[in-house]
Amino acid sequence: MRYYILLFAFFTQISCTPLDPLYHSQSYVFGTLVDISIYGEEESEAQLMSSQITREFQNIHNRLHAWKPSELNGINKTFADNRPKLIEPDIAQIIEDATKLSIQSEGLFNPAIGKLIQAWGFQRDEFTADLPDQPTLDALLAEQPKMTDIVINGHQIISNNPHVKLDLGGYAKGYALDAGMKILREFQVKHALINIGGNVIALGKHGENPWTIGIQHPRKPDAIATIALESGWAIGTSGDYQRFFMHDGKRYCHIIDPRTGQPAQGTQSVTVLIPPGPHAGVLSDVASKPIFISALGEKAAFAKKMGVSHVLVIQEDGQILATPSMQQRLQWLDQEAKQRVGTLQ
Amino acid sequence: MVSFLTLWSHQPAATLRVRVGSTVLGEYSLMQTKLLTVSGSAGKATIEIQQGKVRFKHSPCHNQYCVHQGWLTHAHQAAICIPNQISIELMGASPAFDTLNY
Repeated sequence: MRYYILLFAFFTQISCTPLDPLYHSQSYVFGTLVDISIYGEEESEAQLMSSQITREFQNIHNRLHAWKPSELNGINKTFADNRPKLIEPDIAQIIEDATKLSIQSEGLFNPAIGKLIQAWGFQRDEFTADLPDQPTLDALLAEQPKMTDIVINGHQIISNNPHVKLDLGGYAKGYALDAGMKILREFQVKHALINIGGNVIALGKHGENPWTIGIQHPRKPDAIATIALESGWAIGTSGDYQRFFMHDGKRYCHIIDPRTGQPAQGTQSVTVLIPPGPHAGVLSDVASKPIFISALGEKAAFAKKMGVSHVLVIQEDGQILATPSMQQRLQWLDQEAKQRVGTLQ
Repeated sequence: MVSFLTLWSHQPAATLRVRVGSTVLGEYSLMQTKLLTVSGSAGKATIEIQQGKVRFKHSPCHNQYCVHQGWLTHAHQAAICIPNQISIELMGASPAFDTLNY
């Protein structure tokens, strides 16, 4: 058995010359790499802002951690004990927002299935693969944990189902992108780019040009295309190539289909592009999941349900599909892929 | 855990940048044979420079992806050991994009 966690990353140049006043910092939060680029500010200022943003990310990570002591796990514990708990207003807001998105996705985005994710061994920093046995999975599925089991009344939270175990792994990084943008705007930064484990949000431009983002090829160590990310836009990808393991020649990725309890199959990656808005970061993280999990024939419908019009899908069988609006935005680097792209509609 | 990347650009690289956490530890010529011992958050890693290429030779991390990645030879290639928070990156002319979505 072979275990993988692959992450492809790319570094910008560090240069703080008058010609290209680009500050770039790198840190490790959410168990992944955080890249912050700030353009056009004094280096000392940029450094201050980037460390403030990184501190905020660390704070979010600590509060929402799914398998270490955290506010979120405190909530999970009271759910299991069928007791109510007082929570902070921002945590209530996060859970309400995640519930709304879960309903929108008809349950394909379901942060209540923490026990299933744990059973598959993905709630670890450096996981070793566990293939859970079918009776275990059947029992976890029968518990039917749903976001709508959660009741929030003012500052009090309780779950009608003791088996709800929140794992915001598909939400927290996007939430942090929005929080980072808020800090940048408070500092009145005009131009910046934040990348948290591959999810990216842009503010302003890189000099005369928009920020340019490379989109990772799911099976090659190269970018498949680039995209100009205008101010306020966010981009996110769900892929089967970052957190996964191989067992008997079969790939098991970290995205679990809540309907079957099995890792989603058939899709290598789904990339979504989200227009500016207060929740662009969250949507860039969440919206790709239901599209990734659903069958090919349903993907366009799930994109619509999530309110996303820019979508790129790469299937296990090699099919590459993009919505017409996404096709207009993509600059292909992989010429072979460019010739094969079909329309997702 | 490790990350890697080979850009379409196949320009040879001349300089290596090593970072620990958020700090640039230093930049090194690739045109030498040298072993660097670097202390990361999980322990000591050995980075080997050998006349135009570089690799993680030893790492204290669990899965050893950084070591298995092997030699980096071209500009903009990078390897990151996330558990140990050490990255090695080959420098070159301006890249074609600012950051990578993955």
